[in-house]
Amino acid sequence: MKALTIGLVNLRRMLRERSNIFFVFIFPIAIVLLVGIQFGSASAPGVGLHQADDDLLAAEIANRLQSDDSIEITSYEDEEDLTRAVEQGSITAGLLLPEGMEEVAASGEVVEIGYLARPDGSGSQLQALVSSTITEVMAPVGAAQFAAEETNASFQSTLAVAEELANQVRPIDVEVTSVGEALFPETLGQFDLGASSQLVLFVFLTALAGSSALILTRQLGISRRMLATPTSVGTIVVGESLGRFGTALVQGLYIMVLTLIVFGVNWGDPVGAISIIVVFSAVGAGAGMLMGAVFSNDQQAAGVGVVLSLGLAALGGAMFPIELFSPTMQIVAHVTPHAWALDGFAELVRRGGNTLDILPELGILTMYAVGLLALAGWRLRVAITRP
Amino acid sequence: MGAAFLIAVKDLKLRFRDRSVFILGIVAPLALAFIFNVVFGPAASGTGLGLEYGVVDLDRSEISTAFVEILEDAERREVLTVESHATRADADEAIAGGDIDAYFLIPEGLGQAVMTNLSAIVDVVGDIDAPTSTQIAASFAEQFSAGVAASQVAVATTAQVAGAQITPEFIASLGQDPARAASSFTLSDQTAQTRQLDATTFFSAGMAAFFLFFTVQFGVLGLLEEEREGTLARLFAAPISRLSVIGGKAILSFAIGVMSMGVLVVATSLLPGLGADWGAPLGVAVLVMAGVLSAVGIMGLVSSMARTPETAGNLGSIIAVILAMLGGAFFPIGAAGGLLSRLTYVTPHAWFLRGLGDLAGEAAWSEALPAAGAMMGFALVTGVTAWFLLRRRWAR
Repeated sequence: MKALTIGLVNLRRMLRERSNIFFVFIFPIAIVLLVGIQFGSASAPGVGLHQADDDLLAAEIANRLQSDDSIEITSYEDEEDLTRAVEQGSITAGLLLPEGMEEVAASGEVVEIGYLARPDGSGSQLQALVSSTITEVMAPVGAAQFAAEETNASFQSTLAVAEELANQVRPIDVEVTSVGEALFPETLGQFDLGASSQLVLFVFLTALAGSSALILTRQLGISRRMLATPTSVGTIVVGESLGRFGTALVQGLYIMVLTLIVFGVNWGDPVGAISIIVVFSAVGAGAGMLMGAVFSNDQQAAGVGVVLSLGLAALGGAMFPIELFSPTMQIVAHVTPHAWALDGFAELVRRGGNTLDILPELGILTMYAVGLLALAGWRLRVAITRP
Repeated sequence: MGAAFLIAVKDLKLRFRDRSVFILGIVAPLALAFIFNVVFGPAASGTGLGLEYGVVDLDRSEISTAFVEILEDAERREVLTVESHATRADADEAIAGGDIDAYFLIPEGLGQAVMTNLSAIVDVVGDIDAPTSTQIAASFAEQFSAGVAASQVAVATTAQVAGAQITPEFIASLGQDPARAASSFTLSDQTAQTRQLDATTFFSAGMAAFFLFFTVQFGVLGLLEEEREGTLARLFAAPISRLSVIGGKAILSFAIGVMSMGVLVVATSLLPGLGADWGAPLGVAVLVMAGVLSAVGIMGLVSSMARTPETAGNLGSIIAVILAMLGGAFFPIGAAGGLLSRLTYVTPHAWFLRGLGDLAGEAAWSEALPAAGAMMGFALVTGVTAWFLLRRRWAR
């Protein structure tokens, strides 16, 4: 009972601090929104286009690209402006269509089209998309060059034939399926990807930040005064743990409920999702407690906390999908509790699993929680009873 | 002025005895830059992304072999790995065992269907836990399909112009490989000619800018701590001008900031596993100075508005995190377009990164001046406001 009171006091202390309100409740949602806008389907990546002249081929390529809804085309009169726009990041990629494309093609030469991208990874996927479109437009040109070479007919005459035939050719269809016959959902919700990652990241971040409150409790002598009352060390340790756990749980549930209501994020089976949040909150509480017990300077704890929580989140796949990690890094990732929690959420959302299906993940997270809480309890017991 | 330096030197000694400055100013940004580089580096370079694919070629025609060759070529360029499976069941098993992310299924008769202009399908079968890798696999297949279509048009055109039927014999009689028709253009990547930061430098610079605001805060917060402990009143009673007292703290903040940034620039450039390329040293120095000054100004302003050191610390953290986020210190913000890409320039972080971008690619140091000027603007406006607020605060 006393332990519960200590826990509730901790929770209240956290909520009274205005900056905590920001970090616990406002910031995570803002990030989900920002990441959703940045990488979601709502905004098509911007591609800049510079045509050196009013060449017909170039105009056709521009036309086709403009009718593609998955990218947003902006035209640039000046090549320098286009380069500058890519450098400053106002567009993700740029395409430079050279002078006299038709003339070059007619002479049987290869047309060289310039491509610029941001070095942040999204450029190479865009390149595949742009390249497919140009291949389509250029198919008759290549065919005409080929036929002209083979038959010694003029390029203009073969081009006329090729343009006519291009519409009659049936291209190979590409169909995407997942193992087990179920089709991939056409688009995962714009915010689905980010929400569980952000939840894991922030619950852990807040839990580690909670260590400074514990350090303050020890520094101000509150723990010592509690010990002077008829309260056992065990009760204080359990109470402090409950406080951290409660904070993490409140934040986790808050992120889940709010993203569900505001962004319509699909969390899968609710019992399963809540189980993950409960166990992961306990892991966070354990880690926060351990830091609060080991450090005696709250500024140092805060610094180490930021590194640990952002670093583990990055390694555990909360910032970048774990599927794209190299095999070695995937093993490293599963040293973090984050990866296990994300695996659990993925099981619920992608495979429509229930609590039974995520028992392995829950089991491993429970082991983390028990291990960390036991270690933290022991260290805290030592820290507050030290003379 | 002498008094200001004395105060700064005294505080600097105090700060160095406390390890917090080292943790926040050097260890934390270095550790995070290193982790981010390991995790995000592959995506930025496009290699080593861990794309593991399988291919089931039930067709074994010239066309299907050409596709397998394209995949193997990509494997040589370390874009992906590909392994052949004899049957669909084998490939399914490989997915279930987590050996591959997705496989391409080339059905029997694909080559024949292409030759006779009948519909044909390449299946991309993916692991449900690897949606991104599967999507990338699909774009490989799409690109191949576009290339094959170009060859198809080439053969058909030649046949029509020559007045021949499309038969295997006719195709064999052609002097060139029909696949050539798909290469009537090249998309040459000229990204290297742009002045942009590479991923490693970006993470190093982003983290350095993010933590700079926390490092600088150590100095600025000292003012409020002295106020609470009553030592500030004693300083004011001494024959020292208020400008010297506030200046001392500002000099301290600036010194801590420049030192930590200096160590970070050198460390991220030299450490194995990072190897950042910051650009012309003089330009980097100008940017660092201007960046630190803007951080001192902003954190000074925050402190001048807060009543206690705790409030200043918390408010400062919030401001530092928001500015870093908006400024694109964690991930590039501009590409989102619209309001965000303009809003990003209300942060010194964005100017700092842009200045470094201007220095990239062997540019002269003076290229950094516009961005440095913008940061000096932040420093001046926030610094002067902070000075007036603090004077009014202590005049009461």
